[in-house]
Amino acid sequence: MKWLLALISLSLLAVGAASAATTDETVRPPAGFVDRPIVALDWTLAETLTGIGVRAMGVGQVATYASWVDQPALPQGTRDLGLRTQPNLEQLAALAPADILISPMLSSLAPRLSAIAPVTSIAIYTPDADTWQTLVKATRQLGKLTQREPQAEQLIRLSTARLAGYNAALRQQAARKGQSPLPLLMVQFMDDRHVRIFGDNSLFQAVIERMGIANAWQGDTNAWGFATVSLEKLVTLKGRMVVVEPLPPGGHQALAHNGLWQAMPGVRENSQASAPLFLPPVWSFGALPSANRFAALLASHLIDDEATLEGETTDGNH
Amino acid sequence: MATTEQAMSTRPASGRRPLHLSPGRACSLLALALVVLGSLALNREGLSLMQGLTALWASPDFSAAASLGQADSALLSAQLVAHVSWWPRLVCALLAGGALGMAGVLMQQVLRNPLAAPTTLGVASGASLAMMLATLFAPALMAGTGLGGDGFQLGREWVALAGGLAAMGLVFALAWARGMSPTVVVLAGLVVNLYIGALGMVLLLFNQEALHGTLVWGAGSLAQNSWDGVITLLSRLLPGMLLALVLMRPLAVLDLDEANARSLGVSLRKLRLMSLGLAVFLSACVVSVLGIIGFIGLAAPACVRLMGARRLGQRLLWAPLFGALLLAVTDQVVASLDGLLPNLIPTGAMTAALGAPLLLWLIPRLKMAQGAGPASHHGMSLTHRHPRPDRLLGWLLAGVCVALMLALLVGNGADGWTLGSDMLQQLMAGQTSVLDFRLPRVLAAAGAGVLLALAGTLLQRLTSNPMASPEILGISGGTAIALMLTLLLVPSPGQLTLLGAGICGALACLALLVMLNHRSGFIPERVLLCGVAITALYDAVRGIILADGDPRGQQILAWLSGSTYYVGLSAAVGVLALAIIAVLLVRPLARWLDILPLGMASASALGIGVTRARLVLLGAVAVLTALATLIVGPLSFVGLLAPHLARLLGLSRAREHMLGAVLCGALLMVLADWLGRQLLSPYEIPAGLMASLIGGSYFLWSLRRS
Repeated sequence: MKWLLALISLSLLAVGAASAATTDETVRPPAGFVDRPIVALDWTLAETLTGIGVRAMGVGQVATYASWVDQPALPQGTRDLGLRTQPNLEQLAALAPADILISPMLSSLAPRLSAIAPVTSIAIYTPDADTWQTLVKATRQLGKLTQREPQAEQLIRLSTARLAGYNAALRQQAARKGQSPLPLLMVQFMDDRHVRIFGDNSLFQAVIERMGIANAWQGDTNAWGFATVSLEKLVTLKGRMVVVEPLPPGGHQALAHNGLWQAMPGVRENSQASAPLFLPPVWSFGALPSANRFAALLASHLIDDEATLEGETTDGNH
Repeated sequence: MATTEQAMSTRPASGRRPLHLSPGRACSLLALALVVLGSLALNREGLSLMQGLTALWASPDFSAAASLGQADSALLSAQLVAHVSWWPRLVCALLAGGALGMAGVLMQQVLRNPLAAPTTLGVASGASLAMMLATLFAPALMAGTGLGGDGFQLGREWVALAGGLAAMGLVFALAWARGMSPTVVVLAGLVVNLYIGALGMVLLLFNQEALHGTLVWGAGSLAQNSWDGVITLLSRLLPGMLLALVLMRPLAVLDLDEANARSLGVSLRKLRLMSLGLAVFLSACVVSVLGIIGFIGLAAPACVRLMGARRLGQRLLWAPLFGALLLAVTDQVVASLDGLLPNLIPTGAMTAALGAPLLLWLIPRLKMAQGAGPASHHGMSLTHRHPRPDRLLGWLLAGVCVALMLALLVGNGADGWTLGSDMLQQLMAGQTSVLDFRLPRVLAAAGAGVLLALAGTLLQRLTSNPMASPEILGISGGTAIALMLTLLLVPSPGQLTLLGAGICGALACLALLVMLNHRSGFIPERVLLCGVAITALYDAVRGIILADGDPRGQQILAWLSGSTYYVGLSAAVGVLALAIIAVLLVRPLARWLDILPLGMASASALGIGVTRARLVLLGAVAVLTALATLIVGPLSFVGLLAPHLARLLGLSRAREHMLGAVLCGALLMVLADWLGRQLLSPYEIPAGLMASLIGGSYFLWSLRRS
């Protein structure tokens, strides 16, 4: 019996360690933020709120947000409400928010949540809609909801301007060098044999489209803009690999042993212009702040001219 | 000889024309298909047959690639893909299929059970859990491939192997005390499987993003990126297969019954342990390198037996060959589909999905020993009878009431533990209180517990099979398939849509069960086997959906793990009321339940229409299960555990057993739901998972003790 009890407690401990430690309650919001009596269960919404300087009362899975969305970090004092798909109702009710923000994915929760507070569902990734326009619309909607319209407009303006700036810089560079940047293959490793490749409908696609770069992946994607494929599909595609971390277990060393990876045109040719790019983690289902981050990271690799980048790299989040 | 032959035989049922397909002929057909599909696949890559064959051993040389034209460099790329990916994948499929086929033969021979398979002993789930734990807490372990450039490295296959062997060790430790008897091994394997599966589900629920890689692996994709996988597999499988040949002669003795075998001086326990260990080793190697590939280990031995390979020697020759070709052909088909769909289609899950219909087709052709089955009466007869069952039932009822009060009043909120003392005032004032959130969940948990316990009791008494549970009947699986598809295909489905879809799924499953079984008169073992097939299909569908990494997977996971989260008050009251009505309705059937396990002849002699009784009882089980599944998902093992608990407490007559199980079920679910909500607050562990963790531990413990 003892060893079984030990097994259970061990597993529960494991779960506990993997889940969140609750954040400290701070009374005053950090500089640049205002408090609003709302909760955002979805990370994409939480990210946008943070981008326009709003501290929500609570967000789902705060600890995991830190490792997957990372930037912009949620302001101190945001309460962890548990799983995004199953927010803790008792604690949600205790917070007594004025509004609960969800994405359509969680719509099955709406009847339960609306007993606590009005529920607003904000569409972010919808099939057959222009991703960028949807994100802009969602940002405006959130700005209006939190009385932060100026900040929302500023976030939209800055994001649009930043991408336009990169676009111009890339065009200048192409004219100077006489060659335009290679089309990109934007991937995230699932394990050492499979990647998510991002195409139509994805945040990354929306960003590079505005930067004037083509996507080398023209295959089908799902409603969130990616397809899960095995590496061999990519060997015959001409394009520059953009790897959004985390890398598969074993990291770069494992990639060195990976015959298919070594066969990728960019890796094989070993030239400056087509070598794969490795970017730190960016939330691939993110909103404008994530788009900004992705664009800046990409630009820092693709645009050689330091002068062009100057003034653009300052964070335009709020 | 006669008894085993009867229990194991998969001959066509008497009166049917035997299949005119010898194992040799079947294998040649499959080999032909493989060659055709293979050359077609190479053609698609833009290679002629000769160029493709050269790519098997020659890595193309890119040093001069710069000076080559467009066409030549495309050809080089294609040859490279063939060399580092296509050929290793084909060889891996052949090796893995062969190993699984052999493991299946060994297990079926040892366990004397035509449905034993490498996954039965928990190897796959153990390996899977080990990989998840390593990914989360010791990612360094997952790094190497075992062939790392700088000396020996612990790689992920070793992690998986360790996990698989540990799970098997647990099964063996449980079965050792009873001389490794086949029934107990299968039973222990099943419970360990469920238990480990529940643990894995908890990890997955809280770490979906981090564990995505293991999901792809879990669905068994054969994609390769170098020859490393082949070398790893070969270096482990060759010695294993040689050992199997050495074991062949003593193993053939197992065809005799136990007394005869013992009189020939064979140590049965050692022999069983060794052959099972070997079989698990073979399958753990495959699992660790390629992921979970279901069904081949079950189908290959069953098919060759059906095709006329009776003796062990024949089966050990043909089953691996057949398994290898079957997996390779399936993989070729899957790979050619791969280009047509945006989704990743993992071969392992696909073999399981294709295998389920084949299994359903096989079942009527399996000759079942009437009434014996794999069950005998272990676990049924080992307990004493309680002297005063009514008093015991009273105590159980009191326990349920205490648990209900506890679950309603005590909670671990944002401000620590609170006793809901102000609840009454809030209620009087008509404000929302925590009671609004707790009451539906507590009632629903109790109701689901009652429903599942009742269904489980009916099923276990009906089949006199301690492994029987409503989950295994496949109704839960069928409901779950329908719900998953609804979540995926209907944008933002509401609760009513889900409810409707779930009921449709349950009814479809029930119809299938009746259709397949009415001619054979609902022989319990056969009904259970249909359930096993449907459950396999459910596993496959789940694997495919989760491996694709759709963000909605999180929602599906949340539902699959059996939470009372989504239940409203009216639904909860409805469920509880239905549960109580069901108990009242089933009570008059207790006489059937006392008599049916005595066997067909005795039951008929006592004036019971056996087929009608079975149909009525199975119908009741199906409805009860479907209702409960809609509330707490397909994963709660209360239906398996509650009847056992009641029995272990000493309630053996049908009426007492039923009431005891119902109370145990309610108690278990209410406590599980409450604990799950408190332990990691604000995160909630679903009641279904908690129930299987608590109940599973108790079950394993009691199995070991007795």
